[in-house]
Amino acid sequence: MLAAAQRGDEAAFSRLWRDGNPALLRYLRVVAPDVAEDAAAETWLHVVRGLAGFRGEEQAWRAWLFTTARRRMIDESRRRSRRPVRALEEVPPGQLPVSPDAADLAIERAGTRSAMALVGRLPAHQAEVILLRVVAGLDNETVARLVRRSPGAVRVAAHRGLRRMAEMLAEAGALL
Amino acid sequence: MTDADIPDRDVPDRRDIPLISDASLAALLAGARLPAGSAPRLRPLAESLAGLTDQPSSGELDGEAQTLAAFRKQFASARQAGRSRRRWGRLLPRPLPVKSAAAAMVAAIFSLGGFAATAYAGALPAPLQRLAHEIIAAPAPDGQPAPRPSTATPAVTGPAAYSLCTAWAQAKAHGSDAQQAVAFGKLAAAAGGADHVAAYCAAATRAGSPPSGRPHPARTPGGSGKPSGLPSPRGSGKPTGLPAPGGSGKPSGLPSPRGSGKPTGLPAPGGSGKPSGLPSPRGSGKPTGLPTSHGTGKPGGSPAPRGSGSPAPG
Repeated sequence: MLAAAQRGDEAAFSRLWRDGNPALLRYLRVVAPDVAEDAAAETWLHVVRGLAGFRGEEQAWRAWLFTTARRRMIDESRRRSRRPVRALEEVPPGQLPVSPDAADLAIERAGTRSAMALVGRLPAHQAEVILLRVVAGLDNETVARLVRRSPGAVRVAAHRGLRRMAEMLAEAGALL
Repeated sequence: MTDADIPDRDVPDRRDIPLISDASLAALLAGARLPAGSAPRLRPLAESLAGLTDQPSSGELDGEAQTLAAFRKQFASARQAGRSRRRWGRLLPRPLPVKSAAAAMVAAIFSLGGFAATAYAGALPAPLQRLAHEIIAAPAPDGQPAPRPSTATPAVTGPAAYSLCTAWAQAKAHGSDAQQAVAFGKLAAAAGGADHVAAYCAAATRAGSPPSGRPHPARTPGGSGKPSGLPSPRGSGKPTGLPAPGGSGKPSGLPSPRGSGKPTGLPAPGGSGKPSGLPSPRGSGKPTGLPTSHGTGKPGGSPAPRGSGSPAPG
């Protein structure tokens, strides 16, 4: 599929897009809801330009897609902001727009929507590594390279995030 | 990242908090199915994570047309650019400067047979002759000799010079390395230097009496298969590109035309198994960008020119 798309096969590229774009949007809508749509479009334009020169298999492809998305997202945030925006990992978790409310997520399915809302309530770096692991389907080492943290730190952040999600779900269940 | 990330005080009753093992979390992150007997308290979290990878909704597939349009545009222009590159792509895997490419082409024709002698005889079609004139200082198509260096004062002229030139051509086509060295040495001495050989032979060919009027070189069946070629007429001035006598296994290359230092190696047809690139006379060039044919040792892959039989009348 990837090789066919790299040769210019439009149908193959369409399948890559249909597979990749929902994951891309779910990631971007949680970590940077204000710029998600633009960053996703920019990501694909970038990918199209670099596609013929890309070397790698399925995992490398997904890593490239989300690395590109992350860069475009940071660029796009920078452009929108009057103040220079620091890279995500340098920003204190409390200052990040990581809590999309239900209205922002109306176009996703209910299950997806509530899950994204839940992840969006986590500290930004925990939300990001969980989305990159689960939604993007990247392994721990790839995520660590992508967010420029050690694999150990990424693992800890992911586990803390999941435990926090479980806590929030338990709290919600207790309220019912 | 500290424990402050998880504000414990917000949790009303610690006994309700699921205690989840790292192994279970790792499995959940990797998208693995939880074991059948796993704790029911894991189920809400597993369901929530499954929601993250649920089927896409239509809203997540908007904008495909826009990306596909960009894709079409990108690959249409790439195809167009690729088409013009491909024409030379097989001969020249890496783009060479125009001059080098022309020199490489001439060198290729050299090794394919007869070009040099034909060029020196002025018997090529005008465009090719012009090219040869520019690259290897063969006579210009209009019959004007290549500019002869003023320092060149050939001691031998006329038929004697002609025979030296043909002897070199013969040795180059059929002779051993030692024979080639001897023939070229004599010729260079007569011409007043290795870099004057080309102009010398160009003049001698016109002055000499050709033994026959055959316009094109005869093809010798079962040729030696060694790459042939001429030393650079405008080389470094030192005959450094000469074949080493008895130098078996050494590259039998020749200085690149004009001795620019840029190698213009080319595949040698039916190579004898020796490296057949054309190394720079000073050896300072970059590696050749062209594949050399590591021949199988089969002789006769390419007809060798019979240099002596090819001068044109006049």
